[in-house]
Amino acid sequence: ILPSLHCSIVCVLESVILRCFGPDGGQVLFIRDTGQAMISCSGSRILSALRLEHPLARMVVDCVLKHSTATGDGSKTFVLLLTSLLRTIHASACKEPNVSHNYVSRYSAEAATGRHLAFKTLEFASEQLENLITAAVIPYGCSLLWEYTAPTAHLQTGAGSRHVQKLLASFFCSRLSRSQCDFATSLTCNLLSSCGFKGAQPSSLLQFLTDNFPTLHTRVSGFPFTCSRLVEGQVIHRDFASFCPPNVKVLELACGQTSIVDFKAWAERSLSCVFANLQRLGISLLLSAVKQSPAVLSLAAQANICIVECVSEDELTLFAQLNSEERVMVKLWNLVICGPGEGQTDQYASAILDAILMLLSAWQPLANTSAKATEKTLNDEASTCFPTHPLAVSEPGCVIPAGGTFEFLLTRALLQQRHKNSGDSDIGTSVVSQLLADALLTVPRQIYSCSQRHFLHTQDQILNFIKSHSHPFSLLSMDDLDCCGKASASLKVIEELGLESVSCKYQLLLAVVQCASRLLQVDTVLQTHAVLNTRSHRLTIYWLFGAEFMSVRNIVV
Amino acid sequence: MSRLVKKSPSVCTDLPLDTTDSWKKLRVLLQLLKSCFGPKGRLKLLHNSIGGHVVTTSTSSVLLSAISSSLPLINLIKTSILNHVGRFGDCGLFAAIFCLTLIEQSRQSGLRGRAAAQLNKHLLDLCTVYLRQEDCGCKMELGFNSSHNLTTLASSIISSKPACVLTQSEVLHMSKLSVQAFLLTVPCSSTGVKLGETVTVPVEGPPVKHSAVFPGLLVDMPDLLSLDNAKRPHLRPLRAVVFSASLAGDLSDTGDGVIEVHEGEDTDSQILDRLLELGKQVVEDEVKLFVCQKVVHPVLQQYLRSQDVLVVERLGVALMEPLLQLTGANPVATLHTPVPAEAYGTVHDLGIRQFGSKKMLHLLPAGESSICTMMLCHRNATVLSELKVVCQNTEHVLRLTLRDPYILLGGGCTETHLATYVRHKVSGQLTETAAALGCSQEECLLGLEGFCRSLQSVAMALEHDGGSSAMDLTHAHHWILPADDMREEVEDTLGPCSCGLVEGGPNKPKTYLSTKTPAFSPGPPCADAMAQPRVLDSFTAKINALQVAVETANLALDVRFIIQDMN
Repeated sequence: ILPSLHCSIVCVLESVILRCFGPDGGQVLFIRDTGQAMISCSGSRILSALRLEHPLARMVVDCVLKHSTATGDGSKTFVLLLTSLLRTIHASACKEPNVSHNYVSRYSAEAATGRHLAFKTLEFASEQLENLITAAVIPYGCSLLWEYTAPTAHLQTGAGSRHVQKLLASFFCSRLSRSQCDFATSLTCNLLSSCGFKGAQPSSLLQFLTDNFPTLHTRVSGFPFTCSRLVEGQVIHRDFASFCPPNVKVLELACGQTSIVDFKAWAERSLSCVFANLQRLGISLLLSAVKQSPAVLSLAAQANICIVECVSEDELTLFAQLNSEERVMVKLWNLVICGPGEGQTDQYASAILDAILMLLSAWQPLANTSAKATEKTLNDEASTCFPTHPLAVSEPGCVIPAGGTFEFLLTRALLQQRHKNSGDSDIGTSVVSQLLADALLTVPRQIYSCSQRHFLHTQDQILNFIKSHSHPFSLLSMDDLDCCGKASASLKVIEELGLESVSCKYQLLLAVVQCASRLLQVDTVLQTHAVLNTRSHRLTIYWLFGAEFMSVRNIVV
Repeated sequence: MSRLVKKSPSVCTDLPLDTTDSWKKLRVLLQLLKSCFGPKGRLKLLHNSIGGHVVTTSTSSVLLSAISSSLPLINLIKTSILNHVGRFGDCGLFAAIFCLTLIEQSRQSGLRGRAAAQLNKHLLDLCTVYLRQEDCGCKMELGFNSSHNLTTLASSIISSKPACVLTQSEVLHMSKLSVQAFLLTVPCSSTGVKLGETVTVPVEGPPVKHSAVFPGLLVDMPDLLSLDNAKRPHLRPLRAVVFSASLAGDLSDTGDGVIEVHEGEDTDSQILDRLLELGKQVVEDEVKLFVCQKVVHPVLQQYLRSQDVLVVERLGVALMEPLLQLTGANPVATLHTPVPAEAYGTVHDLGIRQFGSKKMLHLLPAGESSICTMMLCHRNATVLSELKVVCQNTEHVLRLTLRDPYILLGGGCTETHLATYVRHKVSGQLTETAAALGCSQEECLLGLEGFCRSLQSVAMALEHDGGSSAMDLTHAHHWILPADDMREEVEDTLGPCSCGLVEGGPNKPKTYLSTKTPAFSPGPPCADAMAQPRVLDSFTAKINALQVAVETANLALDVRFIIQDMN
């Protein structure tokens, strides 16, 4: 493989992604093989829709999907970062081919340097990045406070909940068209505040919502998005097979127990006995997972019992769970998502699900490592550069203004560290820091792609702002009403830029570096043709550097 | 082992709205839909490439579902409009024309995608808020104490579909029937929350004026001789039983089970014996009407007829629900247990109705019932199918008025009024709007102009004979000036505006819609209580159509990349 091939493959992906990245990005229309239209701004959906052939490209897509299913966010930035990282690695490999190794061809020398750099970067990222972020970024962030425990407390009240709102708003801006962001944000906030758990952790609420999202929402097409709303209770996505409007007293769950197996009067008689029993119990609604025979329907109508048949197993499970003895939930709400067409409702639903997923991963604490490591890597000079962080590292949900703040801060830290290390013998670290810093800056460059001046201006503004305020954004979480001067300034920054989660960003960066080094490890792609039985199979085998067998993918022709 | 087929890569299109080809296609679609719009709209003949059935139509639901395009954007727009029509039954062409014109105008204005979308959304919000206001100048409250406005609303919808080929008096007749059918399906008792149902029966051949609405149900019955011969029962109401299971003597409900029959055992006769026993019980219970959704065994039929019971078989699942509502019966599907007394229902009387060659059994409800049958007659199958679609849509729109008892002025007057209102409102607070939306004042004006032009162009699309559209400068209502009268003084002799609410006159200055229209605050229609609008539009359907159109247009403008799976 030529070293430039990696770059060109990811560049193609980048060119697609760029169409829907940043404040001026649009949407992608995807026509399925069935002719169904799907609209999306989500990077992972677009990449998986491409149905790429090249094994390396598929490997990249796999990495992106793995990351985005875990965090629900960041797939577009993933591709951008990966591209720029590979580009910088390639550029620096071209500049100084490692002469110490005695390679014949220039290409293989470049490839070897690239691999070496990628390995170094991975090493650096997994060992030092976390500490660096803890020291250089987290102090400027603020904690995502979740201030309600009772369902009466509304999201609009607390400052922390305003952060949740802001975080969601910036997420939706990257997923929906701008005019729909506000509505989607308030809808999701209402969902979160309505489905309050009794004294449970927000993460368990988010986990519950993610797990049960298919049963917790209903898609309705033919209406504008603004008609979407929350409906109290659970919605069973089936019509009545037999409906008699009674006053509902008791709800009973019957799961496929009544079905006529025997043709005989006995069956009918026993059925009537069943219904007589049900009637005696005062039951007026029967939910069934399977289709019922006309005899059951007619007996039910005579007994004044409503029947809903073919209810999905998930809905029945949730129903049983909610109506069992120990009730976990205080209230259950169903989210009705409206859109003019199926493609749109689909997009809205997946965006909201991903938003909840993103909140969940934002909630996870960034670091579990002890503070010892921090002290070891960062000596005293470093800690004077950065203010001592008021937030505990393990505190969940650190957020920071979006629009490149994370990248600017981390780049600054990386460059400072490089400067510090330049005298040391460890040349590798300084090169790697430079590499990462260069790659990171592409993200804000793309965000402000309309003008270079705007990019520089924003960078200046943010860095100056941080310099002049010791804990600029964290103030806000404590109480924003008192600090009139500072808070209003930081509020303005947040208003302008939105918020993003530091832990999501960190996971993203780590995943990108892993993916890049994995890509560069691939030495050759062999396409073999093997005949198995009568069928011809084409096996595409990836060989790792050092002839280590990595994975075999069967593509049957 | 199933055969795995390699997936082929997808086909990608970058910036789909920038190609001239897609512009051409969108424009063709717009022209096509515009030419169908309104009472004077041109008809379209639909037929597939292998011959067969030919459909004449100008209805958006029929037309759009017949169109398939290679351009994904068109299919996207089509689906949105069809979904809207499926929910509301009206304003489909309005939504489609508005959406397509808005896309065109927004692109022509050269605005950035996001700015255009945001502006459109903002202007839409202005419109919907204004339409929901109490003092909205193009909205009227619908009073249910008089059927006049309901009939006008119905006739506006029916007359806007020229493919029905109706004369003025036929339109009036059909609108009255539609309103009558609608009123019959509204239950009288205040406790009943469920609306009834109108069953439509199309009859080919007789003239339109023979169409009628009957309370109760009309069901097909191949041989009605039995009713003539039967001694008419004197006792009213008549007891009826309704079966939902097959009475043909088959073993239908065995599922996947295996049945072993012992030698010498005759299952068929056993079942038939059971059926006859059932028949006997029914006769003993003095049932006079025996209805089955599926087939009834001939022997049982014969037995029941000999006992003066009227048998109706093969009713079909569609008529089951209205029949159960009408009779108050419960469906019976158990053959081995006696029919419980509470399963019986009643009908008041039976009769025979003849329409052309078709003879039908008329079931009259015994008490309060909100089931009625609408008999639609027309000369041939093509116009009849269009009439059926139109009548069903009309019923749907009339039902919508129960939720929002408002109506909008028709004939394009709502569109011109709304455009003028938005123009006035935004130009009054241009600085604030631009600041709130984060765009420049010039961009704001460009977007505003595009939006208002799109609204006006819907009104202009109503004219197909080369006439020009005009608007007065006080109420902002819509006038159509005939093509051959382009003199200035013609304004003096013009009649009322398109909706009929504002009188024409010498003192009413007007402006052509195709020229630059001034911004002014449109006044409410004159306080003349006697003036009644001639053309009305559905309030609920139009608001939804506006929202769907803008949302779809914004989406289409926002699409930057198309990926087509070619598998």
